[in-house]
Amino acid sequence: MGQLLEVTDLRVTYGGVVAVDDVSLHVAEGEVVGLIGPNGAGKSSFIDGLTGYLPRRGGHVEFEGRSLDGLATYAVARRGLVRTFQSVELFDDLTVEENLLVAAERPRLVTMLRDLVLPSRPEGVDDVAWARMLCELDDVAHRYPQELSHGQRKLVGVARALAQRPRLVLMDEPAAGLDTEESLAFGRRLRSLPGHGVSVLLVDHDMGLVLSVCDRIVVIDFGKVIASGTPEEIRADEAVIAAYLGGVDARH
Amino acid sequence: MTSYVLFLLLGLGAGSVYSLLGLGMVLKYRSTGVVDFAQGAIAMWGAYVFLRLRLTGKLELPWFALPHEISLGTGMAIVPALLITLVYGTVLGLVVFFLVYRPLLRAAPLTKVCASVGVTLFFEAVAVLNFGTTATSAPPVLPSKAFVISGVVIPGDRIWIAGIVVAIAVALTVTFRYTRFGLATRAGAENEMGAALIGLSATRIAARNWVLATLLATLSGVLITPISSLDPTSYTLFVVPALGAVLIGRFESFWITTAAGLGLGIVQSELVKLQTVFTWLPQQGLSDGVPFLIILVTMSLAAKRLGARGATGTLRNPSLGRPTRPGATALLAFAVGVVVLVALHGSLRAAFMASIVTVCLALGLVVLTGYVGQVSLAQMSFAGFGAFVLSHLGHSVGMPFFLALLISALSAVPLGILMGLPALRVRGVNLAVVTLAAAAAMDALVFSSVKFTGGLGGRKIGSPELFGLDLGIAKGNSYPRVVFGVMLLVVVIGAGYCVARLRTSATGRMLVAVRSNERAASAVGIRVAPVKLYVFALSAFLSGLGGGLLAYEQSSVSSSTFTAQASLSLLALVYVAGVGRIAGAVVAGIMFASDGLFVSFLDKTLHVGQYQTVVAGIALALTAIQNPDGVASNMAGERGPGPRVAALRDRIIPRRHRPVVLDVPGQDGAFVEDVAGPTPVSRA
Repeated sequence: MGQLLEVTDLRVTYGGVVAVDDVSLHVAEGEVVGLIGPNGAGKSSFIDGLTGYLPRRGGHVEFEGRSLDGLATYAVARRGLVRTFQSVELFDDLTVEENLLVAAERPRLVTMLRDLVLPSRPEGVDDVAWARMLCELDDVAHRYPQELSHGQRKLVGVARALAQRPRLVLMDEPAAGLDTEESLAFGRRLRSLPGHGVSVLLVDHDMGLVLSVCDRIVVIDFGKVIASGTPEEIRADEAVIAAYLGGVDARH
Repeated sequence: MTSYVLFLLLGLGAGSVYSLLGLGMVLKYRSTGVVDFAQGAIAMWGAYVFLRLRLTGKLELPWFALPHEISLGTGMAIVPALLITLVYGTVLGLVVFFLVYRPLLRAAPLTKVCASVGVTLFFEAVAVLNFGTTATSAPPVLPSKAFVISGVVIPGDRIWIAGIVVAIAVALTVTFRYTRFGLATRAGAENEMGAALIGLSATRIAARNWVLATLLATLSGVLITPISSLDPTSYTLFVVPALGAVLIGRFESFWITTAAGLGLGIVQSELVKLQTVFTWLPQQGLSDGVPFLIILVTMSLAAKRLGARGATGTLRNPSLGRPTRPGATALLAFAVGVVVLVALHGSLRAAFMASIVTVCLALGLVVLTGYVGQVSLAQMSFAGFGAFVLSHLGHSVGMPFFLALLISALSAVPLGILMGLPALRVRGVNLAVVTLAAAAAMDALVFSSVKFTGGLGGRKIGSPELFGLDLGIAKGNSYPRVVFGVMLLVVVIGAGYCVARLRTSATGRMLVAVRSNERAASAVGIRVAPVKLYVFALSAFLSGLGGGLLAYEQSSVSSSTFTAQASLSLLALVYVAGVGRIAGAVVAGIMFASDGLFVSFLDKTLHVGQYQTVVAGIALALTAIQNPDGVASNMAGERGPGPRVAALRDRIIPRRHRPVVLDVPGQDGAFVEDVAGPTPVSRA
C-alpha cells in the first residue's frame, strides 16, 4: 500500500505563535487515521495549513505522489483531498440536495454558458445519491440547512465532502455536538468509507469515537506530535495519558 | 510654473468640499454603518437655506406644499444667517436620523444605501419644486482678498476654506482620541454588542454623530456656493469623489480622508491646466474622470482589507427566491402582457413598455446582487454602452433586430468583466463605492465623447426590423405600437425565463454557493474568482440588452439617461422591490420605475405629476424601512412567488404529471413532488 498523503514538517504560525510545529503525518490508501489532541493543540490549524486555508510557514505536503505546495484551496479539493469544517459552513441558501449537488458537479465554462439558454440536467447525481445514502439524509434532502438539527447539519457537511468522490476526507470534528447514539452511528458509517475507496483523516477530541474507528492515531499537543500508533498503543501511552488525563487530574 | 501653483490652489476649493463631505460620511459610517449617499443632497439643501436667508430672510422648510418658507425679515448678514443655518442643520440631522436611519440601524447595508438614495431623491425633488432647476450663484462668504506671494496671485477664499477644513479635521481627530464621546463612538464601531453591554447607547451615539455629520454637510454647502454655482442636482454627485476620499481613508481616518479629498480636488484642477497645455489630451471629462480612475485602480490593486465595521449583524444577503415552473410562468406572463398591451393605449401603453425595459435592466441586478451577492452601481453605464453601440450599428442595412441587440448586449460584457476585477478584492459597501466611481468615470470619460454619444442631442436609433418587418415603437402616426410591445415582451420574458432556469441549473447552484459562503465554496472545488467575473459579465449583458431595448423604446439615446445617479436609483428600486427573485424585477419595473406603468397611472389619475419624484423618494425610504428584504419577498409570503399567483398559474396551465424518478430532480429544476411532498420553493 502506497502512501496517499505524506505530510512532512508542516508548520503554521499566527504572528509569533507557532500553532503547528513541524508536524509530520501520513495516511495510507484505505486507512482511517485519527488526529487527536486537547483543545488548542493545533488540530484545526493543521487542517487549515494542509488544505491551503492558512499559509504554510514550512513543510511539505504530498498527495498521491504529487506536491500540493502552493495550490489554492479549490485546487486541493479538485485533486481529491477534501475537507469538512468544524463550524460546518453549509450553503444556507441551497437545499441539502443542492448542497451535495454543487459539490458533485463542477461545471466548466462551456456548461456555464450553456446553462444560460439550455440548462443541463444535474451531473453527479449518482455521487450525490451515494453520499446521501451513506449519511442517511434521504428524508431531509429537500430541506434547508437551517431547518435541520445540529447533528444532521454535521452529516450534511460530511456528505457534501463525500459527494465530491474524494480519495481522502479530512474531517474536522465531525462528531462534536452529536449525542452518543448519533456518534456511534456516525462511527459505523465512517468505518465503511475505506470500502468505498475513501480514506479518512479524522480530527476529533471524542476519544471514544477515535479509538473505536481508527486504524492508527496521531496525538498532538502544543503543535507537536507527542505519540502515534494503534489505538491499543495510544491507550497505553504515558505522554497521551499525561496530556489528557493529567490535564483532567490537574483540573480536579 | 506659477500657473500650476494657481491651479493647485484653485483645486483646494473643490477638494475642501470633498473633504468635508467625506469627514461627515466617515462619522456616519462609523456610528451607524450607513454609507450616506445623501450627504451631497444635504449639503445642497443647506446651501439653499443659507442663501435664501441671506438674500430674502426666509427660512426654507424641506417641504413643497404651502407654506414652505417662514419669513424672518429681510436679507441677513453672514453671521446670523450662518448661525440659523447651523441650528437648522442640527434639527434636520435629528429629524432625518430618527425618521429614516434609526429604524434601519440593524438592516442590511444595502437597505441603508437604498434609504439614503430615497433621501437624496427627496431633497433634490423638493429643491427643484421650490427653487427651479436653473443654477444660481451666491455672494462670497469668506474673504476673497487675494494674497500675492512672490508673484503668484493666490485667491484668498481657497486658503480660508482649506484652513477651515484642516481645522475641523484636527478637531475631529482630537475629539475622537481624547473625549468620552469619541471613545464611545470608536467602541461602538469596533464592537456594537460589546458597547451595548457596557451601557453605551448606540442610538444616542449614532444620533450625535449624525447631527455632527449633517452640520459638516451644511457647512460644506455654505462654503462651496460662492465658488461653484448652486443647483438641485449637481451637488449630489460631489459624494462620489468624497466617497473616494473616504475609501482611501478606509472609512476610518479623518486625516487621510481630508488629505485625500484635498488631493483629489487638486488633481482635478491640475488636469484642467494640463488640458490647456497638452492639446492631445481628451478635452472632455478628463478632470472629472481621472480621479475616479485613480480610486478604481487603487482599490482594485491595494485594498485587500478595508476598514469593516464590527456591527452585530454582519452583511446579510437578501432573501432568495426559487423559481417554480418558469416555462408556465413565462407563457402566462406573455399572455397577460399582450392583453395589457392591447387594453392600454396612449401614454399608459408607452409607460407599460418603459416598465418592461426596466424589468430587463433589473434582471441584471437579480443575477448579480440576488444570486451572487455582489453590488454594482454602474448598471446604467453598461446599459448606456449597449445603447450607444446599438446606435452605431447602422440600422439601415436591415440587420434583424435580435442580432443588433445581441451585439450591443455583448459589447457591454467586457466592461462587466472589468468591473468584476475589483470585486475579487473588495466586498459589500466598499464594492458599491468602487463601482460608483467606475460609473462616474464612464460618465466623464466615455459618455462625454461626442463621437460616441452624439453630445447633448444624443443619437437617433432606427426602428428594430425583422426580415423587412418594421417592429418600431412608432410608425407614421401610430405610437406606441403593440407590435413593438410584443417584441419587448418576447425579449424580456425570454431573458427572465433564462435567468429563472439558470437559478436551478448547475451553474446557478454554484453562484448561490459563492453567495452563501465563499470559504466553503472553495472547499468543494469551486473557483470563486471566475464565478464572480462570470456573473458580472452576465449582469452587464442583461444591462446592455436593457440599454438596447431602452434605445429602441425612446427612438434615440442620450448620455443623460445613463448617469451614475441613474444606476444608484436603479439599484435602490430593484433592491427595495426584492433583488433575490425575478418577481422583484417585475415589481421594480411595473410598480416602482419612475416612467413605469404604476407611477404613470398615478400621475394620470391623481395628477401628482410634479410631485412624483418627491413621492418616489419618500416611498423608497419608507419601503426600505418597511420591507428590508424587498417587497416581492413580502408579497410572496413564506414560500414561493406568491402562493396565490402560483396556484392561479397552476390552474390555468396544469402541471403535467411526470413519472416519478428517484433521486433525479425534475426537469424544471423543481424536485419531483410525488416523492418529496410539496416542492420546497423558498426559504422563510
